[in-house]
Formats: sequence, structure tokens, C-alpha cells
Amino acid sequence: MAGSSDVKRRIKSVENTRQITRTMELVATSKLKRATDRVRAVAPYSSALASIVGSLYAPELSEKFPLLRRPEKVERAGVLLLTANRGLAGGFNSNLIKEARNLLERLAGEGIETDLHIVGKKGIAYFRFRGHAIASTRIDIGDKPSMEEAESVIAGLRGEFSAGQIDAVYIVSSEFKSAMSTPPRSMELLPIQGGGSGGLDNFILSPRAEIILRKLLPAYLRNSTYRALVENVAAEQGARRSAMKSATDNAGDVLEYLTRTYNRARQGKITQEIAEIVGGAAALE
Amino acid sequence: MSELQVRVVSPDSVLYEGPVASVVAPAWDGRVGILPGHAPMIALLGSGELTIDLPGGGSEKFFVAGGVLKVEGPDLMILVEYGGAEVPEELPASADIDMASIMDAVESAD
Repeated sequence: MAGSSDVKRRIKSVENTRQITRTMELVATSKLKRATDRVRAVAPYSSALASIVGSLYAPELSEKFPLLRRPEKVERAGVLLLTANRGLAGGFNSNLIKEARNLLERLAGEGIETDLHIVGKKGIAYFRFRGHAIASTRIDIGDKPSMEEAESVIAGLRGEFSAGQIDAVYIVSSEFKSAMSTPPRSMELLPIQGGGSGGLDNFILSPRAEIILRKLLPAYLRNSTYRALVENVAAEQGARRSAMKSATDNAGDVLEYLTRTYNRARQGKITQEIAEIVGGAAALE
Repeated sequence: MSELQVRVVSPDSVLYEGPVASVVAPAWDGRVGILPGHAPMIALLGSGELTIDLPGGGSEKFFVAGGVLKVEGPDLMILVEYGGAEVPEELPASADIDMASIMDAVESAD
């Protein structure tokens, strides 16, 4: 049986693959756990900051603050795409890239020029390959993004926005709804959405609202970026875990099939040998 | 009016949450004491010691830097850029409050 040693080799190879995917699944599971904790930890701060900024916000302030500036016509926009440095995470990176392409097309359709800024090797590789112009790239954001990294990612865009070189900033990242559901989404990061509830008439403000806002707006922007980075890491690990789990399951199915094929071939060989012996004995009689 | 619910949050954790007797926080222009029934207020924080007096006696102390606090009714929300039990060797850049620019802004308006 020529087939049986081939099948044996394939069984060995699939077993090795399954070992690797299972390990990656376990690694992703433990990273996902830590990343989820970080997403949870940042949520109270984000929502509290949003509510304070919202209550301080008043439409008439928007002229005083570069970060609240609402140009009548948007001519140029910055798009910040967050992807992962590594693949093998199912549709994680390609979903983000697709979302970014849709956003870029939509903006182009409205006659808005765009600068594309990309975090993560996967997004960079795709847009480089397509020959798309890329304004800036970052590949140094790891599994534990820090507030400082968030600041450095957004600082350039904030500067351009404040200086009036761009009129809007969008961020494309994954929303971490749960480990299983991490849809990509685009959000308008700048100008900062007020959503002002107002009603500050009886509040004591110390110092004046403008000065508080001057401090809080950059913090708010930094925090939104940080949150997106943290959610993206959690989403990546969740996607990788699912992808590796199904790869491990598939490897198991393939192994089962191959083992069956191998056993059948082996049994066939034995049966044939017995038949030959019986046939030989019968010929001697 | 005897209840004051406090929530102290930093970007990576909730430092304290629960009912308190009073709070002394480092505001940008000096320490500010908050008792139950305080008028609604939003104040920028500087850096220093945040003291939380517990209802049953005793107190909790944190070192905080940067951020803002908001009192509204019985709720006191304290957002800090940095918060911890110890004074850190080096503050993160985001917690640097740059007092001079605040002072300039306050004075230029007067």
C-alpha cells in the first residue's frame, strides 16, 4: 500500500498544526482576558469624562476652541485606521480594512480629500500593496496600549486639526461588544461632539468653563483614542481566539477522516494478505 | 442631606466608590472640602492628597494629579489623570497640569 505512509505523514502534519492552533487559541484566550479587563477599567472614566464635557459644552464656545471648530465645509479629513500587527485572526483585519475603504470612498464621494494614517502592519501592508497614499504609519503599539501611546498617536492629527489643515478626523476601529462580536466602526473623533445637556446655571465653576474645557478637551480626545486602541486589542484577541478555535476543531475533523482512511487501508492490506495466504494454501492442495 | 456618594476614577481603574462623610480634594487653586449637601460644582484639580473620610470613622488617602471633580446632588464624581496610594517618582505627561497656563488664562480674563 503506497498510500498508507503518505496518509501517516499527513496525520502527523495535521497533528502538529492542531497543536499550534490550540496553543495560539490558549494564548489569545489569556490575552483576551487581560484586554477585556482593560476595556472594562477604562469605561467608567470615559463615560464620566464624556458627561462632564457634555455638560460644560455650549454651542457658543465652539468658536473659542480649536477642537470644537465646526467648519462649514469640510475639505480635508484625516482618517486613522487601527489594525493589528499580526494576522491569523479571522476576518479581523480585513473587516477593518473594508470599513476604512468604505469610509474613504464615502468621503471621496462627498468631494473631501483624505489623509490616511494607519496603525498596525496589516493595514499598512494592504494599502501599500494597493498603492494608496499613506500619511503616517505606526507599528509600535503592542498588546497593552498606554495613555502615552494614545497621546502620541493622536497628537499629530490634533495639531493639524487645530491649525485648520484638516477639518475632521475619523477613526476606524473595532467595537468590542463581546469576545464573539467585534464589528468594525468608524467614528468622528474631531470635531468633538458636544451633545451638550447644558443646564450649568446653578453650578459653581472653578475656574471658568472655558478654562476647564481647555484642559478637558485634550484629555477627552486622548481618552477616546486610548479607548479605541484598548478595544481594538481586545477585539483582535477575541477574533484570534475564535479563528484558532475553529482551526483546531477543523484539524480534529481532518484527523478523524485521515485516521479512518489510514485504518481502512491497513485493514484492506491485512485482508489482502490473508486472502493471498489462503489462495496459496488452496493452490497447494 | 447626610449622604454623599463618591466615585473616584482614573483612566485605568476605579479607585474608590461608596458613601462617605466628607472629602478633601486638591483643586487647582487650593484644597477644597466637600460635605454632603454641597452646592453643584465643577472644579479643575491640581495635584496632591485626596482624603476621603469614611462614614464610620477612619479615612482613605490617595495621591492624585490632574483631572476634574463634579458635585451634583448627592453624587461626587472625581476624575483623575493619575491616582494611586503613593506619590509616583514621575508623573505621566497626561497628568501634568501646567498650572502656569491656567493662571494666565484666569488672569487675562479679569
